Amino acid sequence: MVEILKNMWRRKTRTMLTVFGIAVGILALVVMGAMAEKLNLLVDGGTTYYKDKVTVSAKGSSFMALPIPITKKLEIEKVPGVQAVFGEAYAMLDKDLSAVNFGPPASIIGYQPGSEKYESFKLNISRGRKLIESDSKKVVLGSDLVKKLNADIGKNIKLRDTEFEVVGIYEKTFSTPDTTVMIPFADGQMIMYNDQPEIIRTNTKPSEIVYDFIVYPTKGTDPDKLAAKIQSEVSGVTTMGPKAFNDQITTSVGMFTSMIYGIALISLLVGTLSIINTMTMSISERTKEIGIKKALGAKNSDIMIEYLTEAGIIGFFGGLIGLGFGSLFVFLINSYMEKTGDKIFLLTPKLMIGAMVFSIAVGVIAGIYPALYAVKISIVKSLREE
Amino acid sequence: MVETILKLTNLRKVYIMGDKKVARKAQKAIQKLHIKYEKAIKNNSDDFKSISNTLNKAQELFSSEKYTESYLLLTGKEIHEDKNEKGVVVHALNGINLEIKTGEMVAIMGPSGSGKSTLLNMLGLLDTPTTGQIFLRDINVTGISNKKLPDIRSHQLGFVFQSFNLIPTLTAIENVMLPLKYSKVPIRNRKNMAKQALEMVNLGDRLHHTPNELSGGQRQRVAIARSIVNKPAIIFGDELTGELDTKMTREVMELVIKLNKNGQTFIIVTHNPEVAKMCQRTITIIDGKVAKK
Repeated sequence: MVEILKNMWRRKTRTMLTVFGIAVGILALVVMGAMAEKLNLLVDGGTTYYKDKVTVSAKGSSFMALPIPITKKLEIEKVPGVQAVFGEAYAMLDKDLSAVNFGPPASIIGYQPGSEKYESFKLNISRGRKLIESDSKKVVLGSDLVKKLNADIGKNIKLRDTEFEVVGIYEKTFSTPDTTVMIPFADGQMIMYNDQPEIIRTNTKPSEIVYDFIVYPTKGTDPDKLAAKIQSEVSGVTTMGPKAFNDQITTSVGMFTSMIYGIALISLLVGTLSIINTMTMSISERTKEIGIKKALGAKNSDIMIEYLTEAGIIGFFGGLIGLGFGSLFVFLINSYMEKTGDKIFLLTPKLMIGAMVFSIAVGVIAGIYPALYAVKISIVKSLREE
Repeated sequence: MVETILKLTNLRKVYIMGDKKVARKAQKAIQKLHIKYEKAIKNNSDDFKSISNTLNKAQELFSSEKYTESYLLLTGKEIHEDKNEKGVVVHALNGINLEIKTGEMVAIMGPSGSGKSTLLNMLGLLDTPTTGQIFLRDINVTGISNKKLPDIRSHQLGFVFQSFNLIPTLTAIENVMLPLKYSKVPIRNRKNMAKQALEMVNLGDRLHHTPNELSGGQRQRVAIARSIVNKPAIIFGDELTGELDTKMTREVMELVIKLNKNGQTFIIVTHNPEVAKMCQRTITIIDGKVAKK
């Protein structure tokens, strides 16, 4: 091992440039991978949330957020297979969305506390308490919004110019609830109502509008089949079951993730080529030494292992530096974004270990061609070299 | 009785360069018959004498550049030589028969291009002969597979080269430890063995010096320590004093003689008659043949 390190150090600049090439690739992989991890976690959260329920919204609301009349609740409840229906009011936390958000934007959800009884997606409280039926002008905050809103238990925050008292803070989920403000349903309806265009406001009352209904199926009912049934039996609504969620979100996110990794892999490919170049150059410089070693009894496998280890070490150091700078980059951006409540990166141990393993593997694979070249060197010819 | 450590029978090495299709074909046919001949000897078959006669005749024809006749004798088929073909056939070794006894110190001399380095490469199993046999301690090593050769090299053979051939990034002790690494000596023993070898060549105080921190004579002594560390059966020296001045040559040769007196066999290729004089026997090679034993 000492010998291999000494060999690498013979041409310091060349070795360092190669290590740097790999480091850039791994940095890209770590940063892009951390973005993909965050996105995947959001999708996983959504998949878990939607797996046993049906969401019913107004027809055409996929193009613009249209409220649905509360009267539709009675029609939905009549559909066989429906166990319970709860309305949800929704508004974006920042009315005027000025920045491009990564994942769903921070939001306000007015919900009916009784729905928790049917909910399998459990949100735990880290501090304070949950909302109860009799609450008014109270909020429970997602963990990422505490800093953004400068909030704490017992403090008041302003939502659309109305004061709300913070009564609880959710545990961190690394998913959508971290950037969600939960308020009582009626308060949510009021905010949502005020956000509507005047034409809607003049024709309805706040208590008559809902953003969507969450429908819990009876035991043994397939939520996808129930979604189809509601769609056909209730007019003017669009339904979404677990499969539709997966089809819409998972596929598009999967493509996005592939693109992210693709970009990182291209930069890593450049690093790989530079390892091949460095190792081949280094072997042609050391042809005579390879001959000497073979004359001293080195087997082809000894020579192979030596050069593959050298390439692997280049990969290892490249990975270590890339991971170090990538983690620093992720940390700095996340710290900055924390103020807005929208962290865009998630650096997981899986990603870190994966990046290191990948980096070493890239090194070793890139070393195969030069190592095979070294093995083929003829002893007699190499000993003649000056 | 002193045992024969190395024996060569009818060793030939032919290099065919460029377009010499007929020569290549004839050479292939000779090699094919040679394999048959070795098998016949191994199986005590009666026809080995007739095979041997054909083989000798074919090799004679080949040596006198009568490739078509050689091919005809071996295969019964006629081929035509294209006179426009460019290329050259070099008979580097042309039927060498030799015996080296255990504990001998033999010098191989000859003019440049006579084939002495080629012979040393064959003896050291660094290159393979075209035909002929090499017996190391009565074992025919010419037929041994390439996979097994490194084991023989690391355990039984040692090399000292003209230009020292030390690894420049490694210290003296690390250089001497290399053959131990390749012969799979346990790591814990390597340092001690290498240290002992370096002390034997009076370099016990230069263990951690790299080659460029040593004089030419010291470098060659490191190379000798590296060659003896595995206690090989034979050490081959290829012009081992070629890059040394008179004083250092004497210094290195005194060490070689000391090791030889302790029973170490040496085969040394040299241009230097003074070095040859210090050996017990001199073999002179001219035009790929033994001229004087």
